[in-house]
Amino acid sequence: MNQRLEDLLTKAWGPSLPVIIVTAIVALLLPILVHTFLYRARTPTSLPSFLLVGPSGSGKTSLLTVFENGSPAPTHLSQTPSTVQVQLPPSTKADSQKYRSEHDPTAKQRPKFLIIDTPGHGKLRNHAFEQLRKPQPHLKGIIFVVDSASLSSDTPGRSAAGLTEAAQYLHDILLLLQKRYTGAKSSKGPPELPVLIAANKLDLFTALPAQLVKSALEAEITRIRTTRAKGLLDSAVKDETLEEEREWLGDGGEGKFEFGQMEEVNVPIKVVGGNVIGADGSDISGWWEWIGEQL
Amino acid sequence: MLDSFEILSTSGVVLWSKTYVPIGANVINSLIKDIFIEERAGAAIDEDIAQKPTYKKEGYTLKWTTAKDLGLIFVAVYQSLIHLSWIDKLLDNVRALFTELYRDDLKKRNTTSFKCNFEPYFDRQVQELEKLDGGSSIAAQSSTSNSAAELTPPSTSSGADEPPPPPLPLLKAAGQKTFSEHAPSTDSTPIPTPDTSRPASPAVSHLLQAKQRPTSRRARKAASVAANSAPASSGDESPMYKSQTLRAKKARKWDANGMADEEDDTVLDYSSAGRGDESSKDAGPTSGVEAVSSSSWGTRTGKGEFVLKELDDEMDSIISSANAKKASSAEASGSSGLVGSSLGAITGLFRNVVGGKTLTKEDLAKPLKGMEDHLLNKNVAREAAVRLCESVENDLVGKKTESFTSIETTIRTSMETALRKILTPTTSLDLLREIQSVTAPSSSFLSSNPSKPRPYVLSIVGVNGVGKSTNLSKIAYFLLQNRYRVLIAAADTFRSGAVEQLRVHVRNLKELVTREGGGAEVDIFEKGYGKDAANIAKEAVDYAAKEGYQVVLIDTAGRRHNDQRLMSSLEKFAKLANPDKILMVGEALVGSDSVQQARHFNEAFGKGRGLDGFVISKCDTVGDMVGVIVSMVHATGIPVVFLGVGQHYGDLRGLSVQWAVRLLMQ
Repeated sequence: MNQRLEDLLTKAWGPSLPVIIVTAIVALLLPILVHTFLYRARTPTSLPSFLLVGPSGSGKTSLLTVFENGSPAPTHLSQTPSTVQVQLPPSTKADSQKYRSEHDPTAKQRPKFLIIDTPGHGKLRNHAFEQLRKPQPHLKGIIFVVDSASLSSDTPGRSAAGLTEAAQYLHDILLLLQKRYTGAKSSKGPPELPVLIAANKLDLFTALPAQLVKSALEAEITRIRTTRAKGLLDSAVKDETLEEEREWLGDGGEGKFEFGQMEEVNVPIKVVGGNVIGADGSDISGWWEWIGEQL
Repeated sequence: MLDSFEILSTSGVVLWSKTYVPIGANVINSLIKDIFIEERAGAAIDEDIAQKPTYKKEGYTLKWTTAKDLGLIFVAVYQSLIHLSWIDKLLDNVRALFTELYRDDLKKRNTTSFKCNFEPYFDRQVQELEKLDGGSSIAAQSSTSNSAAELTPPSTSSGADEPPPPPLPLLKAAGQKTFSEHAPSTDSTPIPTPDTSRPASPAVSHLLQAKQRPTSRRARKAASVAANSAPASSGDESPMYKSQTLRAKKARKWDANGMADEEDDTVLDYSSAGRGDESSKDAGPTSGVEAVSSSSWGTRTGKGEFVLKELDDEMDSIISSANAKKASSAEASGSSGLVGSSLGAITGLFRNVVGGKTLTKEDLAKPLKGMEDHLLNKNVAREAAVRLCESVENDLVGKKTESFTSIETTIRTSMETALRKILTPTTSLDLLREIQSVTAPSSSFLSSNPSKPRPYVLSIVGVNGVGKSTNLSKIAYFLLQNRYRVLIAAADTFRSGAVEQLRVHVRNLKELVTREGGGAEVDIFEKGYGKDAANIAKEAVDYAAKEGYQVVLIDTAGRRHNDQRLMSSLEKFAKLANPDKILMVGEALVGSDSVQQARHFNEAFGKGRGLDGFVISKCDTVGDMVGVIVSMVHATGIPVVFLGVGQHYGDLRGLSVQWAVRLLMQ
């Protein structure tokens, strides 16, 4: 028994043909197997991507389907984020192709990009914040969808619940973007990350026009900022590091907040109106244009 | 009868739906919100082991099932008045069918668009199950479907000599732009098919037959739909109907690209037996005009029956194969040979290290038990811990582990997500913002007549000795620092020394306020002992409104949560004082009783009124065992607003979800 084992081992280490063949096969196949095993799930391409955020019920997933197929599909509350590959429509030109001649065949190519849809429900916003905490280098912009019909309030005096929710979410996102700038290691700072506030559902009678959506959100964020400044500390904050931990949105947290203030931290904000669903079909040309500008 | 059936993805897109009676989208939305996202345990779920879970909303009953690996949810909606026993079976069968038929399409990445022709399968399923049940029939004619590839032909509308009605591809034209370019060419197809006379020359008839073969599958499908939705058509129109579908088919063949077509090809494969049959019948097409016509007449009606039969067979085979797969996998896990088991164990170990292991209930059982013990050690109530573990199990069973992650790590990550989900509030917790909107209604640019300012009323309830008065004065201090005028109402008229205790707090706070200056002011409203607390609270609110106080804080007597007599007075209190916010103080030291406390207090205020938040006191005394936070939120779904973290007036904190999750998972 022992003898046979020894024989076998000697053979296995000797330069015999089967051993060489087996070794060659293993040496060749192993890297391929490891590669396929590890990388089969990875996306091979690195397309530019846009993040779709906004409160629940604002029409993010519907917008996503319009971006992809041209017509809205029926949707329900989202529970998981989804990524979709989208092509710019021929009517919109990407910014990088601005100087190409009309007859240049490459100008006809419609650039592709990814749109990442996130759930808007209060308990699931973590997905969006995760994306923003470590932004991908291919993230070209953020589209904040807001239901402009929910911003006007029924009861006078109180601001609508929809407005408060949207403003709070937007405030948190802008604060994260500002932290990205102030917490940057290099002196150059992170690249520009534009935000589009897509005022959706403009086809409804009660909807505010884009300009009013802008001022309503600005006013509400101002209020949120002041109450946050006066509010209690988080339980996570230890007493020794009282003031350093907190950050205020915009110019030191004083006075009125305007979206223009965010340009200091490389976050230009634009408010454009449109509607995903409507009697005359969807009108999202303004949003396409903005996306074209970022590509 | 069934009102609606929807198949949706977890990312929120409706993949396929069939609506018999239109229902509001909010019914399914609230199902997703309550069951899948907020996981409300008490949201009218009938726990029955043998049956699928149900959810009742607005007179509808919803049953659902999920396909985790594909991220699908199947929901059936019907009226609660009707008892449908076959819904469970329908859900199971549809899930098996749908996942088998469209698995490859569903796995496609980076797209939401999904086209399928699931309608005939679904209709047959419903009919069959209803037949089994012998129950009421579905009004199929009232059905509308938004399936992208609808195929219902206008079967009964065509008369004997009329020109063909708009060919059915036009129905599809809306969805497919490219089609319209070819539509004219199909209309001008040079085959003259006056339906009563057969094609004049055998050559043409031969052509017709030859063409028929590759496309006949579609005719059958269309016929099956027609047979479902309408009574069998009379013999006269059948040739015409056939030629019509023929044309339509040709057009489709040219244009349809992508999934719809592929799907049909796969269906074609199933039909090999049927095709052989047909070709044998068509073996002698040149024999004569009469013969062809009669055979085609004969096969037409025969075919209709035959098609239905075959669709059934196909469905049955898919369902049975799915069931068999399930059974065999169960068997394999149960009893396998020595070699198999040891090999399985080795690959299992390997998978555990490298990842990519498909998790089963057995794999998860042991680590989940460990996780449950860990949570219990963190002072989470057993009920809450069990529920969290169940939600993790539901989340993970059937999933694959990531590369190079073990089961334990996967469970950990999933548990962190579950904790974060349960603790994250759904409503805004900005107290100052709320006070501001009540006491100083903003002259918002939209409101024409601002409502009258009134004091903001906040009251505090809780069990004896948890620190109600202490936390009340902490909140008062916090509001005073924000320059509010605060009135503290001593509505604890029961315990001796309660009013004096508050008086001391107010004296201290006054001293602090005068030191700091500003517009803040604090006072106490007291009426001694023995009076009715609800009336005192009411008087305090009126007094505050008259004197221009901005916030009223009402202290109440501590009461045992299972003492019906004491708890019943809370309902009157809530009605008279009508607080804007009712906070319950619970101490971090309490164990599993916290669940009952939270539940009883939440129900004590009568219908339509509950707690608005929790204050968890004495957090500094428990270290990292902050499980009470989870227990209380689990019991009621109400967020934690404040944490008491020390003995000083300033030791009040908001809850940081990150912090709590970190402590609990340590």
